[in-house]
Amino acid sequence: MGRRRRRRRVDPADATRALPEAIAALSQTLPAGPSPETFRRAKFDRPEAAPALWRLLFRVLSPQLADGASASFSPEAQVRSVKLALRTQGYPRRALAQLPDDGSQGGRELLLALAWLLARGPLPERLLTQNRVQLGDEMPVCECEALASPGPPTPSVEADGCVDIRHLQWLMGKLRFRWRNLMASQQEQCALLGKIHSYTRGCHSDRSLGHLSVTETELLRDPEGGRQLLRRLERENARLQAALEWRRRELVFWWWMDTVLGACPPEASQPTFLPRIPTPGTGALEPLVQELQALQGELREAVEARRAAWEAGVGGRGPEWSAARTALREAVGQDLAALRQACERGGSCSLAQPHGPHRLVRTEAGAPGGPGLRAPEVIEALRSQEARLEVVLRQLQGQCRQELARLVGAPPGPVWILPPGR
Amino acid sequence: MDTTVTLLAGSSRRLVAELRDALDSCAERQRQLERSLRVSRRLLRAWEPAETLAPEPTPGPETNEEAPSAACIPSPQDLKELELLTQALEKAVRVRKGISNAGEGNKAPSLKSGSIATSPATRASAPPSTSHRAGSRASETKPPRGIRQTRVPTKDLPERRLLSVGDQACMGQGAGATKPKSGLRNEQIVLSAASQAPEAFTLKDKGILLQLPEAFRKAASRNSRLWAQLSSTQTSDSVDAATTAKTQFLQKMQTTSGWPGPRLSATEVEAEVRHLQTACLLLRLRMGEELTADPKDWMQEYRCLLTLEELQAIVGQCLHGLRELCTVVEQQLGPWPEGRFPRASLPCGGGADPIWSPQLLLYSSTQELQTLAALRLRVAMLHQQIHLEKVLMAELLPLVCKQEPLGPPWLALCRAVHSLLCEGGQRFLTILREDKPAD
Repeated sequence: MGRRRRRRRVDPADATRALPEAIAALSQTLPAGPSPETFRRAKFDRPEAAPALWRLLFRVLSPQLADGASASFSPEAQVRSVKLALRTQGYPRRALAQLPDDGSQGGRELLLALAWLLARGPLPERLLTQNRVQLGDEMPVCECEALASPGPPTPSVEADGCVDIRHLQWLMGKLRFRWRNLMASQQEQCALLGKIHSYTRGCHSDRSLGHLSVTETELLRDPEGGRQLLRRLERENARLQAALEWRRRELVFWWWMDTVLGACPPEASQPTFLPRIPTPGTGALEPLVQELQALQGELREAVEARRAAWEAGVGGRGPEWSAARTALREAVGQDLAALRQACERGGSCSLAQPHGPHRLVRTEAGAPGGPGLRAPEVIEALRSQEARLEVVLRQLQGQCRQELARLVGAPPGPVWILPPGR
Repeated sequence: MDTTVTLLAGSSRRLVAELRDALDSCAERQRQLERSLRVSRRLLRAWEPAETLAPEPTPGPETNEEAPSAACIPSPQDLKELELLTQALEKAVRVRKGISNAGEGNKAPSLKSGSIATSPATRASAPPSTSHRAGSRASETKPPRGIRQTRVPTKDLPERRLLSVGDQACMGQGAGATKPKSGLRNEQIVLSAASQAPEAFTLKDKGILLQLPEAFRKAASRNSRLWAQLSSTQTSDSVDAATTAKTQFLQKMQTTSGWPGPRLSATEVEAEVRHLQTACLLLRLRMGEELTADPKDWMQEYRCLLTLEELQAIVGQCLHGLRELCTVVEQQLGPWPEGRFPRASLPCGGGADPIWSPQLLLYSSTQELQTLAALRLRVAMLHQQIHLEKVLMAELLPLVCKQEPLGPPWLALCRAVHSLLCEGGQRFLTILREDKPAD
């Protein structure tokens, strides 16, 4: 290749070389990636390509599994899991669901599925982030991860039957106790972290960090563990490098995938029977509907009360009133614009606060410091969140109190002596 | 009266499931914390010498070789010399304590002469408390690798000579020992020697001498560089071309599949449900702010009213969207899934520009860190409490309506429900009832 020849975008010679390189990069950055030869065979739907691609898709779709854990799933289980996961995410082609469970066929279809997943989002980066080697002491500054947890599985029909309300009280007490323990353990951990950070100040080669983290100190204490950490780090570096390569070269892959799609026979348009997939039924949406309706009811009450008070009140009359009213309306609209956007379909409900895990770095008080969040800011944000959440909780409890008082009814009835106020 | 208040089977299952789930998530956090605590506690104790530590090659003059590899019994004369040495060290430390106000607390070494007589063949058993330095024992304690690679600052050079007095006497090593010289006259040497007496390694005393191994440092800096590059390659020309190609591919996939497929995938439905739940909470938070605000003049009052009306409108829109969602879902058959789907985890905050590796959080004191962590847990706990409150309300309030009023079981139920719903299960109210006169 002469230096004077300019690289043109569509150059057959380059393309033939570029494609295997792109696929090699992709395969290296994904866990359990097969060789480029496997990909080529898959295009022609050769059966020997199928098992490797099933395994790859399984690893990609279940990233929460540890490296070795996927071996405990039988090939059939892996195939079924892949099928379910793809349909859950809305994979449009039926042909995948019709592939046999023994994992012996379907190379081309699996290739299309992989491409579909890659096209929908930054898959390699996401996978790398999930299994990232953590070198620092990290603390998430938000609760998004905990809030996103799916909640309890629908209780199956048990023989337990009815439950005494005192059991519920006992469970609540147990929960309170666990939180207290958690808080105490957390305080201890912070104290220990503080000590470790201050004892190792000045040791880190990276000036912006300044001191060692627990992981780094641990690797000094335990050389064998340190060697393992180093190996993991080097593996991750290789995958990161491959991901960057992939991003540079992926265009040629998409051109190729076009041809793969073209090589598929067109699917019949009449829908064949497909097994039901579990979907959130309307039953699951019911609580949410009720919640929104309850909220709507509370707002309606509040608005009616205030409107009535306003009409009966003295303020808001006179010629300058309409101008003031318009100004206020605009101000409120602006005020709530962010909230409105967050609540819209597809909006992001980020609660306007810092997010994600952060690496803890101890600095001297008063030092200007480099880039990064400052603890006082985060504390402020958390305090205001705490205050707002407490208001909501009191509100809900107050509602219950009113409701119960109403149900108990007027005297003559038993006299309720409320517990002493806080 | 001691009546057992039973609940209907259906609602009790849901309640117990929710409470158990809350307990489980708490337990999971506790487990993770315990793991971290174990590691941290172990780091702050004196470090045990590693079992599989390969014997070091003869170190160069830089390293501070303290550990003897062979056991040897000190001769009486050696013991006497060590005794002198110890006394000198003790005196030095006393002087030092007088000079500098060591804020670190217990600087006084537990240099007991008695311990010198201990056979050096005994391994130093690490003292559990980290605030005491191990006594100067003529025993073998192999310091960890980190120390070996330390570039010892020049001020420590004199003390190697000092130690070699004892070294030669007992430890039997030649490497690193220069001319034996009793530098006892020089207090400075003695002072630094006091901190270099062969003893178990504690992070508190020698943490600042640690240094990460070269290979690791290289790998770690390469790692952070690569992550930074990954975050920054989000916008460029080639990326745009690739994005177009991907969109076209997806469209083609959709059109070539004979089956129109669900309008919304299950994952998308779930994501929308979570989104609406968060929206509901946000709206409730805002409503709470408005309701507790105290308007001072009519302008504020009107503004409050307008805000509440606006919130009402937003809730209406959310409900409308939710009803549309229900219609779409109804068209698909299938019960609520038993298991949980492996969900693609999005970077939280739903940012358009996800930052793939963690950023820094700077804190300046342990107090600050503890406050931050405590607040985080408190926010998590409040989220959980609010969720449980809603579940309890939904399940328990209807029960109170259903039961026969004013009977003893009903009163007990009311009392229990009141406690759970209004006092977080922590306090109970008292019910006075006027009994009819016994007949």
